[in-house]
Amino acid sequence: MSFEKFFTKYLHEPDCHTLDFYKKNYQGYQGARKALHEWEPDALIDEVKASNLRGRGGAGFPTGVKWGFVPKKTDKPKYLAINADESEPGTFKDRVIMEKNPHQLLEGIIINSWAVGIHDAYIYIRGEYVFATRRLERAIEEAYQDGILGEKTLGKDFRLDVTVHRGAGAYICGEETGMLTSLEGERGLPKLKPPFPAVEGLWHCPTVVQNVETVANLPLILEIGSAAYKQIGPEASPGPKLYCVSGHVERPGTIEAPMGVNLLTLINEHCGGVWKGRKLKAVIPGGSSAHVLHARECDVAMDIESLAAAGTMLGSAGVIVMDDQTCMVNALLNIMRFYHHESCGQCTPCREGTGWLEKIVHRIAYGHGQLEDLALIDSVCDRMVGKTICVLADAAAFPAWSFIEKFRDEFVHCIEHGGSPEVKKRHPKRVGGGLRV
Amino acid sequence: MSDLKFSESGRKKYEWLLTRYPEKQAVLLPALRIAEEEFGELGLPEMKYVANLLGISPSRVFGVVTFYTHFRRAGTGKFHIQVCSTLSCALRGSQDVVDHIAGRLGIECGETTEDGLFTLTKVECLGSCDTAPMFQLNDDYHESLTIEDVDRIIDDCRNGSGKNGASGKNGGSA
Amino acid sequence: MSDPQASDPQKVVHWLLDGKPVENPAGMTIYEAARSHDVEIPNFCYHPGLTIAGNCRICMVETNRSKKPVISCSERISEGLEVQTQSEMAVTSRNSVMEFQLINHPLDCPVCDKAGECVLQDHSFSHGPDRSRFVEDKNIRHTKELGPTIDIWGNRCIVCTRCVRFCDEISGSSELCVVERGDRSVVDIFPGVPIDNPLAGNVVDICPVGALISNDFKFEARIWNMKKTDSLCGGCARGCNVEVQSLDGFVKRLVPRENPQVNQWWICDEGRYDYRYLLANDRVTECSLDGTTVDDRTAHETLASWLGESGLGKAGGTLGILVDPYLTCEEAFLVGEIAAKLPGTILGGWRSADGLAQSFPGHFTISGEKSPNRLGVEAVLGREVFGSEGAALRAALAGGEVATLLVFAGFPHPDLDDSWTSAVASAPRRAVFALRSGPTTEGAALVLPGSSPFEKEGTWVNEDGFLQRVRSYIAPGATEWGHDLQRLQAVMRGAGLRSKSLSPAAIFRELSESKTPFAGLSHTALPPHGAPLPGFSRVAVGSEGNAG
Repeated sequence: MSFEKFFTKYLHEPDCHTLDFYKKNYQGYQGARKALHEWEPDALIDEVKASNLRGRGGAGFPTGVKWGFVPKKTDKPKYLAINADESEPGTFKDRVIMEKNPHQLLEGIIINSWAVGIHDAYIYIRGEYVFATRRLERAIEEAYQDGILGEKTLGKDFRLDVTVHRGAGAYICGEETGMLTSLEGERGLPKLKPPFPAVEGLWHCPTVVQNVETVANLPLILEIGSAAYKQIGPEASPGPKLYCVSGHVERPGTIEAPMGVNLLTLINEHCGGVWKGRKLKAVIPGGSSAHVLHARECDVAMDIESLAAAGTMLGSAGVIVMDDQTCMVNALLNIMRFYHHESCGQCTPCREGTGWLEKIVHRIAYGHGQLEDLALIDSVCDRMVGKTICVLADAAAFPAWSFIEKFRDEFVHCIEHGGSPEVKKRHPKRVGGGLRV
Repeated sequence: MSDLKFSESGRKKYEWLLTRYPEKQAVLLPALRIAEEEFGELGLPEMKYVANLLGISPSRVFGVVTFYTHFRRAGTGKFHIQVCSTLSCALRGSQDVVDHIAGRLGIECGETTEDGLFTLTKVECLGSCDTAPMFQLNDDYHESLTIEDVDRIIDDCRNGSGKNGASGKNGGSA
Repeated sequence: MSDPQASDPQKVVHWLLDGKPVENPAGMTIYEAARSHDVEIPNFCYHPGLTIAGNCRICMVETNRSKKPVISCSERISEGLEVQTQSEMAVTSRNSVMEFQLINHPLDCPVCDKAGECVLQDHSFSHGPDRSRFVEDKNIRHTKELGPTIDIWGNRCIVCTRCVRFCDEISGSSELCVVERGDRSVVDIFPGVPIDNPLAGNVVDICPVGALISNDFKFEARIWNMKKTDSLCGGCARGCNVEVQSLDGFVKRLVPRENPQVNQWWICDEGRYDYRYLLANDRVTECSLDGTTVDDRTAHETLASWLGESGLGKAGGTLGILVDPYLTCEEAFLVGEIAAKLPGTILGGWRSADGLAQSFPGHFTISGEKSPNRLGVEAVLGREVFGSEGAALRAALAGGEVATLLVFAGFPHPDLDDSWTSAVASAPRRAVFALRSGPTTEGAALVLPGSSPFEKEGTWVNEDGFLQRVRSYIAPGATEWGHDLQRLQAVMRGAGLRSKSLSPAAIFRELSESKTPFAGLSHTALPPHGAPLPGFSRVAVGSEGNAG
């Protein structure tokens, strides 16, 4: 079966973000109309369960199952919070949907809201995405004017209001409960679980949290049915998928392919191969918190199960490619700096551990490392993982572990030869001198 | 307390926002964005104004503002250049962009030029990894930068034609 | 997902704690339940009076329900749960958290006021590694004033947010916040808006480390050198439980003691910092007769002779006794005995004017009534001496009916109504037990030093009718100014009204034998948190603690 692009077919059309374009070229809102007028909510949840649609935000949780956790009998209002705080390094797929095809997201929101009985949806978009925010707000305006949203959603006696909520620069607000806390107007600290958002989320009410791309898949499921949807890619985690390829490739970009596309195909065929004719050294397949893959491990299908089997994860499908001239110590230092900067500071192991890791790797990169530091990093990671409210600590530990495990010789070389070659080139005066104590 | 006050349109937007959430405090981030837009920056008086507006303690607003990195804090230059320096951008030369800008403007990261025109900051991933290196100039993304692009953009800002960074490759209105 | 029975306290949950089968009411957290079986799990951010933050992670334990360790402060027990507090996972988890807590924490215990009562020190000793593997530079955070009474030493802050939650949930004033994020985060105020709420001092007590420091106590004493006395605050009728901490006979600070039915875990700043009057210049420290210093013996004999000649039909004429609401029940009992044995004695009471009661969102109340034992004195004397009978005494004074007036003026802050001061001054002959000199002692024939609330031994009854022990931080009589109860008994012996001096406990025994509300009670049998006084108590026995 040939793969027909669903998200990016008309990416280069100048008007692709407008309602008119969406209606004309995508049969826009037919899926949502079908849902509201032909599907009972419970049956719709079953249909989405049957489609095996899995979350595209990182955890890969089955969407229909998540909806099933929302209490049916409740006096409280229910909310939908769309996670558009795309901030995992290497990830930029949701931005494409929001900038180029915002109505696809809105249609998905309608379908999701109808299935779960939600009347208020919020799109929490990262503050830096100003352009995408404008596009979304414009699309929502169009939808209200056209009777798609509002008191009578698509002519049905069903109110649905959608509000765009801008974040303000915090990676942790991409964690679902951090996002909810932020939406409530607080510092974006992840919440203790249980209770889970499906039971107690926004303002202590049942809340469904979904990634942009996940929800944008719903119109397709309604259009072609769960059986056909399951045919796209592997049955356990099917569907069209947006892969974000960045780093050392000739043509970085957002690539739409069926779930399970081979990583090397993605790099070599879709993105023109490793840049400057160089060789591949390593790939982070699912955003910077995924375990890094050595070049020899890259012949792997890009789906949830296959990558898990390869000891890493699909995560947010942010594929970061590194060529053979990359200094892995310096690359790890960059990642460690990121997590140190972004730890919310709530849980002790993460608050202190992320900073400690950066300091140690910094020391190694700048030529003050000792061999024992590698064991120390391993131990610090071990003491962080699984001991915090959210998984940011784990996200920092995974790259640290995998970089050192798979590129140990480079770390050892750095330690024995006075630091990272990249750092030495850039800061010749700041490198070397042994351990400062 | 200074005589800060939202304009009519700012006030309207704020009041509309209040109707969109079941709890008033949820409007804090959006209200801070209005304040940022209306007053140009978020200093202590602006934070206090928003706190009074929402009926919450100023310390809560202070805690929130300092938690996030994207608010326009007091003392930021007219043109805030935020260079993404996370891995994908770093792999494609973001540090060269930073060094070049720092050299041209004669400031270090985190500093503002003496004329108050430019602030240079290194920031974490801006979600534009495929168009690395890139920076955000005020609201707008400038992507797939070469050193020549950077020079042109800085010149545009200086000449006044770069008003609010409107020369952005995907800038402009939606 | 949620089991409706999970939080039904009627339901008993059977679970395993370190391999031992135990049971607890449903809905309890692992931490609380373990505690009920004397298994103490360490914590920093947890505080029983505050919402659960779950951020410090030190209370992690291993369970059969999760591959990862769980935090016992928020995880609830359930049927069949197996909790390990000493397994390798639990021990390593605690050890990890301690290592992380300490990497950026300064090693400044020798100059830290918290040392000796520091939770971080204690847990480090019990659960932490014995050396640091951290060779990097430590982070630097601000050290500054947060308010008139409180400083922050930011480098010591472990961001447990107890103080922030206190200001949000208990005082309701929300002056504190955490600023920045990650390992830069630290407690702060909005610049220019200091922490100055009436309960502010509590944040220093609940700070598990030395980050929040009281200006009043800073560098005053080492914790382990101080003597600690369980007593009560006399600032209002609330009767908050305090620990009086003193060094070499000087009170250094007051800290709250937990009492669920009176003050929970808190005290107000007004009470907390109000002990300086103990050393006030106008403190009465010696006896004087007609303005001349005399020894105790002379003073006691003089007063005894005045009492001896007072009474109906006696040469000395009518005796008036004006009591204050700082008297202990035991002292009041002796006063009642004098009145009973000298027929015709007119009793009255005086007290400070009521202030404004203040209630806080966290159910803490500062009483409007500034008298710590009005209820107790009235219960002992069996009449409303501070009400209509007080007026009667004043009328008798105005009418010249009182020949000798015995005044108790144990007011730490004499701010009494002028009409009372002039009525007192009108008595032809006046003996005063006074804490501080002033209008009451001026022109008095006999002045005796009075004990302050922190120097008394006995019992008080708070505004809710709760009988509690008040104790002296210093051995009774060890001060140069002596002790009210001893003086009173010496005088009574001199006047032939008592045969010997007894301890406060013995006097209370007499009280319990003769006054119905006190029947069956005794100092030794009084529970640590006090007991409701039948007929006076507004708190039902065993009811939920609520000071509001």
